[in-house]
Amino acid sequence: MNTPLVTRGDWLVLGASLLLLAWLYATLWSSGGETGGQLHILVDGRELPPISLQQERTLAIDGSIGTSTLRIENGRVRFLSSPCPGQQCVHTGWLSHGGEFAACLPNRIALQIGGDEGRFDTINF
Amino acid sequence: MKMLRRSLLLLLLLPGLISCGGSQPSLHRAQLLSLGTLVDVSLWGASPRQITEAERIIQEELDRIHTTLHAWQPGPLMEVNRRLAEGSWFHCPPEILPLIEQGKRLYRSSGGLFNPAMGRLVGLWGFHSDDLPGGPPPSADEIDRFLANLPGMEAIEIKGEQIRGTNPALQLDFGAFAKGYAVDRIIERLRSIGIRNAIVNAGGDLRAIGRHGERAWRIGIRQPRGEGVLASLELGEDESVFTSGDYERFYIYQGKRYHHILDPRTGAPARGASSVTVVHREAAEADAAATALFVAGPQGWQDVARRMGIEQVMLVDDKGNVWMTPAMAARIRFETAQKPRVTISEQP
Amino acid sequence: MPATRPSHAAGHTLTTTVEDHRIAWLAALAITIHLAESALPSPLPGVKPGLANIVTIATLFLYGWRTAAWVVSLRVIVGSLLLGTFLSPTFALSFSGAVASLAALGLAGLVVRSGLGPVGYSLLAAMAHMAGQFAVAYWLFIPHPALLRLFPLLMSAAVLFGLLSGIIVATMLRRLP
Repeated sequence: MNTPLVTRGDWLVLGASLLLLAWLYATLWSSGGETGGQLHILVDGRELPPISLQQERTLAIDGSIGTSTLRIENGRVRFLSSPCPGQQCVHTGWLSHGGEFAACLPNRIALQIGGDEGRFDTINF
Repeated sequence: MKMLRRSLLLLLLLPGLISCGGSQPSLHRAQLLSLGTLVDVSLWGASPRQITEAERIIQEELDRIHTTLHAWQPGPLMEVNRRLAEGSWFHCPPEILPLIEQGKRLYRSSGGLFNPAMGRLVGLWGFHSDDLPGGPPPSADEIDRFLANLPGMEAIEIKGEQIRGTNPALQLDFGAFAKGYAVDRIIERLRSIGIRNAIVNAGGDLRAIGRHGERAWRIGIRQPRGEGVLASLELGEDESVFTSGDYERFYIYQGKRYHHILDPRTGAPARGASSVTVVHREAAEADAAATALFVAGPQGWQDVARRMGIEQVMLVDDKGNVWMTPAMAARIRFETAQKPRVTISEQP
Repeated sequence: MPATRPSHAAGHTLTTTVEDHRIAWLAALAITIHLAESALPSPLPGVKPGLANIVTIATLFLYGWRTAAWVVSLRVIVGSLLLGTFLSPTFALSFSGAVASLAALGLAGLVVRSGLGPVGYSLLAAMAHMAGQFAVAYWLFIPHPALLRLFPLLMSAAVLFGLLSGIIVATMLRRLP
């Protein structure tokens, strides 16, 4: 057998594997796969695509009676403002653990952090 | 050997089927935004069919309670109220009769502090509306006139399926109790479809059955003032946790806060407490008790708890101090950086 | 019918072919490596470096894909029977890894045909093996986002071990007459 130990095809496969690895690290180790998980937003009974909590962002969401603003930073989220009279959603404060949720009923917007490793299964109020 | 190989191939297919069919028990959590309440449901180890069925049951029960018991929109309860005011005997709809019976019982045991018969007073304060009132609160005159002839649940007489009212001011409002009643019914129906482990949290008030896999269900209790979680509890196999707070529905008029938990003795929002948490088996009783104990306030709650047979109570007063029964103190864990001032009541 | 039952003498003497013997020997070798490997610690139960891959790739080059497929299947089944993990989640993991790597090898053989040596095949098999196991672990057992963060690390390990066993196979094949 006069074929080399490592053929040109092998080098190609190795190169492609390394590219694949680089891509995996880039996508899974940046934001989306962070622990602490994803933010699920429910607007009027419909769920929006989940959002990563590993970013700094202020979101405006249109609900039934107006626009609520959410603040995402350092793996946590809260209602910054909401057009509801009670302001319960704003008073709920920051959510950071899997399973925690907050809702603005009048505006029909609910937030929940994904994952079941939260400290609490649910919140009584 | 061909035979052997073929049977090995069959064996190869088996685990694929097994591992696809029987997935590991796990948590399913869903939020249902149903008619004025956000319901947070957690199911442990339920099959996909049970999950779909459970969500349908919950939606159905909430819709049913909402239409049957709505206190200010035309429906069965308004019709019952109209005929109660007339004063003659009539046939009570079967979906409302058990609520009246249970309401009478809880009214009696709470010494009248839980009073679903004073719907008119709730209306006077402007809480019979989807939007919160902007004020002004009712005049002292209006309140005094109502209190002079305060209707209680004894003003409803029951004979079989017939009922009648004996006080024309009587107007039923099951706001302090309908949620508990609905949660009890939902849990009962979830059990009937074979669900063993669940939490049904209807707008903050919940009943839990079973466990979260290997451990007990864990719940957090919100701070009445400020943000975040005040305390946490690990729940037993079947327990309800209900909290009445002055932050749930309120309005501010000329700098003064008016909340929705009214004291039948003064005709005004109850003073002294900012939240009361009750742990009890049945949700309906826990719901009514949380309201009655809130009205009783930091001074009177222990007597009312004893009369109602409620053993686990935590009251947070308007200064942030915590009052508890020994049974509650034994299991609750504070989650705040600074532990509040706690007073544990004496053994009943 | 008992009266017309044919003599089943042919069934008694299992005629085994040379290929059968070969498969048995190679599988025995692979199982030995598989068992030794199962004693190694791993971040995810059932996820292993896959040094038994050496036998698979060597078999592929010497006797073709069909024989390799038999060796792999026997390794997974007999190995799990010996370890007592047959039909358990661990088995589902090694089974899915085996299916994925065989599929990758088969596809590579169809698509590339020539020019690919043991190292290339070994890399492909190792990565497919890991990806297959991971997919099953993630979807069936623990669908938690935190698990995804492990994936790049596991794939790096797969590339490393794939390269290693590929080189071993290539060296081995050169020394064969």
